[in-house]
Amino acid sequence: MKKILIVDDERDIVETLAFMLKAKGFECICAYDGEEGLKLAKECSPDLIILDVMMPKINGYKICRLLKYDSKYKNIPIIMVTARSQEEDKEIGEETGADEYITKPFEFNDIVEAINRYIK
Amino acid sequence: MSKILLISELSEFSKDIIYTLTNSESECILSEKTPENILSQIELYNPDIVLIDTKYNDCEILTKQIKSKTIQQNTQVLLLLEKGKDIDFLNFADGFVTTPVCKNILIHTINSHIKIKKSLEQLNENNRELARSLYQLNVLYNTSSQFAGTLDKNKLYNIMLESLEKTLSFDISSALVFGMEGESKFYINSLYEPTESLKKALALRVGLEYKNLFENQPLPYNINLEGMEIIQNVKPSHIQNIFDLRILNYDSLFAPIKVGEHFFGVIELFRSTPFTKEDVTCFQSIVHQVALPLRSATLYEEIKNTNIKLEKLERLKSDFVSIVSHELRTPLTPINNSLEIVLSGQTGEISQDARNFINMAKRNVSRLSGIIEDLLDLSRVQTGKLDFKYKITNLTPSLELIQKTFEQVSGEKNINVSLEIKNNLPDVYADTHRIEQIISNLVSNALKFTPKDGSIKIIAKTVEEGEIDTENLISPIQKIQGKYIKISVIDTGIGIKKENIPKIFEKFSQIENSLTRNIGGVGLGLSITKELLDAHLGAISVISEENKGSDFSFFIPVLDDKKIFIMDINHALSSSEETAILHIKENPSCGFIVHICEQKLIKLTKKSKEYKKDNDYFVLLPDTSQSALDFMQKSIIQESQKPEWEKCAIVLKKASSNQDGKELLKILNKIDL
Repeated sequence: MKKILIVDDERDIVETLAFMLKAKGFECICAYDGEEGLKLAKECSPDLIILDVMMPKINGYKICRLLKYDSKYKNIPIIMVTARSQEEDKEIGEETGADEYITKPFEFNDIVEAINRYIK
Repeated sequence: MSKILLISELSEFSKDIIYTLTNSESECILSEKTPENILSQIELYNPDIVLIDTKYNDCEILTKQIKSKTIQQNTQVLLLLEKGKDIDFLNFADGFVTTPVCKNILIHTINSHIKIKKSLEQLNENNRELARSLYQLNVLYNTSSQFAGTLDKNKLYNIMLESLEKTLSFDISSALVFGMEGESKFYINSLYEPTESLKKALALRVGLEYKNLFENQPLPYNINLEGMEIIQNVKPSHIQNIFDLRILNYDSLFAPIKVGEHFFGVIELFRSTPFTKEDVTCFQSIVHQVALPLRSATLYEEIKNTNIKLEKLERLKSDFVSIVSHELRTPLTPINNSLEIVLSGQTGEISQDARNFINMAKRNVSRLSGIIEDLLDLSRVQTGKLDFKYKITNLTPSLELIQKTFEQVSGEKNINVSLEIKNNLPDVYADTHRIEQIISNLVSNALKFTPKDGSIKIIAKTVEEGEIDTENLISPIQKIQGKYIKISVIDTGIGIKKENIPKIFEKFSQIENSLTRNIGGVGLGLSITKELLDAHLGAISVISEENKGSDFSFFIPVLDDKKIFIMDINHALSSSEETAILHIKENPSCGFIVHICEQKLIKLTKKSKEYKKDNDYFVLLPDTSQSALDFMQKSIIQESQKPEWEKCAIVLKKASSNQDGKELLKILNKIDL
């Protein structure tokens, strides 16, 4: 079973997303702030990470950069999710090495499609 | 008493004349012996009248010499001529008296010539006065045109002082100038260095005079003489001299600088020579003239400050909208997710009714997120953060896509959405996504306001500049030029009253009537549409008739180099990129500068665009760092080795400051859309 790490300080988002992904047959690990997310990313070696941008402690861009510049973790696909949708933000996301960039509010199908692109 | 010099040998004859004249309240002396001595004697003695005895040797040469030497002094040269004798140099003299001399004739002749001399002097004096007045008038005239040309307070004061100096050539001036927030400054303009005590005395004096102007009434400005800042300007001079308290004995002129009730300051001038009546008039008119532009300058300053405040406020508002919208989006995500989970049946079977209601909730979530998206767009447009992805594109696929999308939605109301594209559409330079947004906005509006069984027509065609019906344009296209694509959305809806048409383009507006309450939307769509079209150098027009329908048409310029360039500059200005514009004035004497710039500078950035109009050559360099700019400037100068080239090429950079933006806009205006 493929393992997905969801990092977002919005508990409701994490829970609904986890519920739906479980129904699609994924194993989900949840983190509710950046620090916990980074820790779990390193400990649990997930197959994919869904990462919020604005979070307490460590923001999403930083986590993304830390993981993508570390040879041990750089192969884990990262999907950035954010309420900010300006182009410049998207560019920052791409610079930090995120694989996908999705704007809130998102349709569940968009997320599943994105996941399927990286996990076959 | 008039002074007379008699040129003659010492004789009974000359003694007689001297005696006669001395007795008639004149002073008369006999000349020296040699002609050289006589000339220097005239210079020293400066006689009013020179009497030359024609029996004297060299009298002809002397007459000519004396006359030419004393022309400035209007000295009268008279000859003593033997009765019955004629001489040919008579016309060099001013008159003659025959000998033997009759006493009364001599005295009378002398007196008449004294009068002539005085009249001539008066005439000369009048001429000088006239010339001076003319000069003053000229300066006054120049001053008034200079005053009209500036809104800078300091410059205005300087112009005033300069013209006062030209017309009145004062020795020292002191001026008290009131500032915006009560602080006052004291200016001293002086020929020589004033002593400390003089400075204090001048300040005190001006202060007292100012207070005297108002007697017992309250002062418009309170001045603090103790802590006043003294700004001193001394003329560079090679003469070592100072001005001390003695200057206060000089003649002085004083005047307040004011317009009606508005007070700007007071000024006082000192001059060693007395001021004439004309000087006073001149002084008053210059001081009076400066007051009006000063008033304008003050108003201008106030307006500028208000504008800055307003700009800040506008930014604050936009930021607020942007932050709030971001916050609103976040909770929408779990709502949407939850609804999807329930709908998917994973939480248990749901009834058909429940399914309908949850679908309704989902529809409204997407509507809400649409509204938030609109709000965000609007705040981005206003703060210039909206990012346009311009490219050369054809709008046909977009039009077809929109027609298909709306065809499906319109089924419920049985409205026919048709598309008609006349001929093949030429390419445009546009952000396809934004154009699609505009068309969708218009079609969805039409759909909202068209009752059942109506129809919506989308018509696209190419029009010439002359075919644009400017009367119905909402905001005019800066300058209509060339070809445009016209896309019309024509419905059979409720229509809009003519007077309401401009209102629908305002933010958050829907025309108040009972019908529209049933129709959703916060009324941002058209306002965004207008902004998006502005960015594309396009425009929108509306023709509508109540209960018959509306025609919303918009115009997008057909691909055109100049317009592309302007859109690129506009875009660069509003985006966060560091952008530079290179403006090169191609002047025939250094025609190859453009070539050098092309070679040297454009290498620095791959995305550069060029545009040429007459002798102005513009290069847009997006994403240019300061160091690259410095390098450019340096290479231009290096390459040329001529300082005047610096003036030919101006590199302007878009920085975060508004000022730079304005500079660039000025250049834009030059490009002349």
